[in-house]
Amino acid sequence: MDDLLQEFLTETNESLATLDVELVRFEREPSDAKILGNIFRLMHTIKGTCGFLGLPRLEAVAHAGENVLGKFRDGELDVTPGAVTLILKAIDRIRQILSAMEQTGAEPAGEDSALIAEINAMASGQAVPEMAAASLDDDGGFPVAAELLAEVAQAIEQNPTLAAPAPVIEPDVKKAEPAKANGEPAAPAAESSAAASSIRVNVDVIENLMTLISELVLTRNQLLQLQRGQKGNEFKVPLQRLSHLTSDLQDGVTRMRMQPIGNAWAKLPRIVRDLAVETRKRIELVMLGADTELDRQVLEIIKDPLTHMVRNSADHGIEPGAERLAAGKPEAGTITLKAYHESGHIFIRISDDGRGLNVEAIRRKAIANGLVTEPELATMSEQQIIQFIFRAGFSTAEKVTSVSGRGVGMDVVRTNIERIGGAIEMSSVQGQGTTFLIKIPLTLAIVSALIVEAASQRFAIPQINVIELVGVSDRSDVSIQRINNAPVLRLRDRLLPLVSLRGLLNLAEDETGAGRTSYVVVAQVGSAKFGIIVDRVFDTEEIVVKPVAPILRGTPFYAGNTILGDGSVILILDPNGIAQAARQQTADDGKSDVHAAAQDGIKDETSFLLFGTRGSELKAVPLELVARLEDLDAASIEHVGGRHVVQYRDHLMPLVPFDEFHEWPASGKQAVLVFSDHGRSMGLAVDKVVDIVRDRMAIELSSERTGLLGSAIIAGKATDIVNIGHFLTLAFTNWFDGAVEARVVAQRRALVVDDSAFFRNLIVPQLRAAQWHVTSAANGAEALRIMEADRPFDIVISDIEMPEMGGLDFAAAVRRDQRWQGLPMIALSSHANANDVQQGRAAGFDEYLSKADQPRLPENLARAMDAVTQASPWRNAS
Amino acid sequence: MTSIYKADAVFGDDSEETFSVAPRFCLIVDDSATIRRFSARLLNAMNFVVGEAEHGVAAVEACRLVVPDLILLDWNMPEMDGLACLKAVRAMDLQPRPMIVMCTTENVLPKITEALAAGADEYIMKPFDRDVLRDKLAQLELI
Repeated sequence: MDDLLQEFLTETNESLATLDVELVRFEREPSDAKILGNIFRLMHTIKGTCGFLGLPRLEAVAHAGENVLGKFRDGELDVTPGAVTLILKAIDRIRQILSAMEQTGAEPAGEDSALIAEINAMASGQAVPEMAAASLDDDGGFPVAAELLAEVAQAIEQNPTLAAPAPVIEPDVKKAEPAKANGEPAAPAAESSAAASSIRVNVDVIENLMTLISELVLTRNQLLQLQRGQKGNEFKVPLQRLSHLTSDLQDGVTRMRMQPIGNAWAKLPRIVRDLAVETRKRIELVMLGADTELDRQVLEIIKDPLTHMVRNSADHGIEPGAERLAAGKPEAGTITLKAYHESGHIFIRISDDGRGLNVEAIRRKAIANGLVTEPELATMSEQQIIQFIFRAGFSTAEKVTSVSGRGVGMDVVRTNIERIGGAIEMSSVQGQGTTFLIKIPLTLAIVSALIVEAASQRFAIPQINVIELVGVSDRSDVSIQRINNAPVLRLRDRLLPLVSLRGLLNLAEDETGAGRTSYVVVAQVGSAKFGIIVDRVFDTEEIVVKPVAPILRGTPFYAGNTILGDGSVILILDPNGIAQAARQQTADDGKSDVHAAAQDGIKDETSFLLFGTRGSELKAVPLELVARLEDLDAASIEHVGGRHVVQYRDHLMPLVPFDEFHEWPASGKQAVLVFSDHGRSMGLAVDKVVDIVRDRMAIELSSERTGLLGSAIIAGKATDIVNIGHFLTLAFTNWFDGAVEARVVAQRRALVVDDSAFFRNLIVPQLRAAQWHVTSAANGAEALRIMEADRPFDIVISDIEMPEMGGLDFAAAVRRDQRWQGLPMIALSSHANANDVQQGRAAGFDEYLSKADQPRLPENLARAMDAVTQASPWRNAS
Repeated sequence: MTSIYKADAVFGDDSEETFSVAPRFCLIVDDSATIRRFSARLLNAMNFVVGEAEHGVAAVEACRLVVPDLILLDWNMPEMDGLACLKAVRAMDLQPRPMIVMCTTENVLPKITEALAAGADEYIMKPFDRDVLRDKLAQLELI
């Protein structure tokens, strides 16, 4: 294609984008002569340029548009939404023609006379009755013949001069000028001087430059490496200088690739405006931080997700005006986009003040789609429920409109953002609006990466995904354990699923020599954490990301390749792909699903450890509660005064058999699950550890059988869930009875108020183990009766939603009573959004904890109890 | 009007011509990059060296650096329009005095007298082609 035409296409497309934005502004501020002047000029320039290039179709459409704009400018025509919509239609038509020209290099055949007649009819002062919504729909095609003829006929009837070229507009530049002459020159002038001092460069040129710079960086690194072996010589100083210059150059080119995020936002005002017209709402779009810069590659990737979210906000989020007024909100809804830099990342916040997500609808949909069961939902907070919209195939739209619900769901949005190492969070308050927060890296081209080795091959792992490094060996405290042949690592009391890089990439088999040291790279992808086992870890390096070779595109494990200082080419691992592959692998296995523990960020599933007992029946315990798995030498187990203990990390650890008829082995190994609590540990002796499975936490509370919480369907089988609390108390009461008999503990007293036996069972043993005397009540009324009758309590821990008397009423009643003014009270609820917490505190609770974060509940509770008992002047009356 | 798809028809084979005189300098002032490039081709073929400015402010700036022999000045531009630019350039009293040709469309045609009064030497209707431009420049004895 002729480069002149190419230039024209680029230039005109840019002008059209500006026109979209400016027209939307203009519609709101029709009296702003400056905006109108700018719009008029842009349209005029397009028309003028078409004349030079011999593009009659474009010229005619642009001319009609310019004609109307001229009449706006001269005050001959009122600015109405219908009129603006027509101009926008003209812009769309121009865009259509341009895009066809991009394909063929020539103006496509077509007929614009209907559109032009419509525009001219309006220019001649005809009202445009209610056309806005209707005509927006047909801008993809041309009107059918009859309709077209009718329009033309009507137009001609009304405007006999139509056949001639549009009437010459009385030029009245003065009207548009005053703004320019009188005022506000400062800001625009500064803007345009920046424009004047900038040049347009082909993206390829910059990409090429980037490649050259990576080569330069490589050569520099090679030189530095040569120099390292030498004692000081005359090359040292110039080499250092070269090194600095190269870094500066690299920075410079990286900056060249940066573009303001406003570029990705340019289409949004138009989209929101059209949506507002179509849905008959009033919507303000506020854009803040549009000049925040980020890499153009990143910009391209987030463009569509952003558009999608803004669309969603406009279509579903913002309510119709009447509904808003009824809810006491301003009639016009507001969507706010805000971008800003923080700690090497770009944050983009998209918020609206609409109705918020429809939790009920999400709940129904989640059940209908089989994502969750009713009892599980009951234990989830609203914030947890709304996260379902990120699941594949989940569209929140109750009815699919032409606007959203196009099959691109929030799952695609999340996938796109996570693919570039970003993350997305969402919160929504019913009646108040929804907010998304996106975090993305500044650039993808040069990243800081950790260089690791597996089977003598080096790999780079993007630093952004790396949380920490752990050295492991058979001899150290931290070691890799195997559960059903899948490796896991117990790290600070959390079990981390592992992936062996050797295994994953089919490199040489792991050598399991004694005392061999390897490393675990703890990586995070989205909310999932997992470990990658490697042989060695080198340095971190700034690496230049080169696209992955076509031959490797089929494998999900690589993000690209790079060249290191010593000239070797290495592959960059894609933690995202590895996490997915690992999940896939375990899913194929069908039963062992350790890796899924990595998904613990998704709170609706829990990992369970399955173990065997003397009977054939398997028992399960939530994996989160297990601190460690040990295979103890039978010989190391001592039998003292009717109890079994073992020397464990410089302490004596009590062992409790799960089964009272447990046969302690005389030789060989004894499998033990170690539980830790407040610095103490106890071991639960079991027959064997069978597996770790991941399933929904749906426990049927049941039987009063000692030591069991109830049962749940795990991996398709009804399995008993073990109540660890029972064994903890067993170990420790016995322990203290025997060993610390002399110690007199003035036991502090806690009152636990909860209608759920499950939660009482979860909390009470923990408190008992921490030396509390615990009394429990099933609701507020019962709790008040106990408080009246019983000795004073040192702390009250209460649920919120309970029959008879809920937590809020209960707290208020307690606070009304002089005797209990300073009594520390902690609320524990499955609903814990900001609003709930506020209400709880207002009612008199000192702390408010969420039950949802079950794995960390004991820890959080302990911390909160320490805090409130210390902060409170409350002293037990006794 | 010739279509650009037959570029030769527009630009002819003038590029083959040899010129005996030193090239003159023309400043093209237009907010459309396409038109600037188009005009530059025509002018290059007529032995002009070409400079470009996308609005009046940039044009005035350019005149401070090099005094052009000819300024092709568009009317409708951001920042500073053609008429204001014309006045600003004339106020600089450049030596030797550059020829200024206003590029106009039907919209601003009635104002051309004002431009001529303010110091424009000639005007040319947009869109123009090689022959029209050549005639205008010949009238001004620039070629």
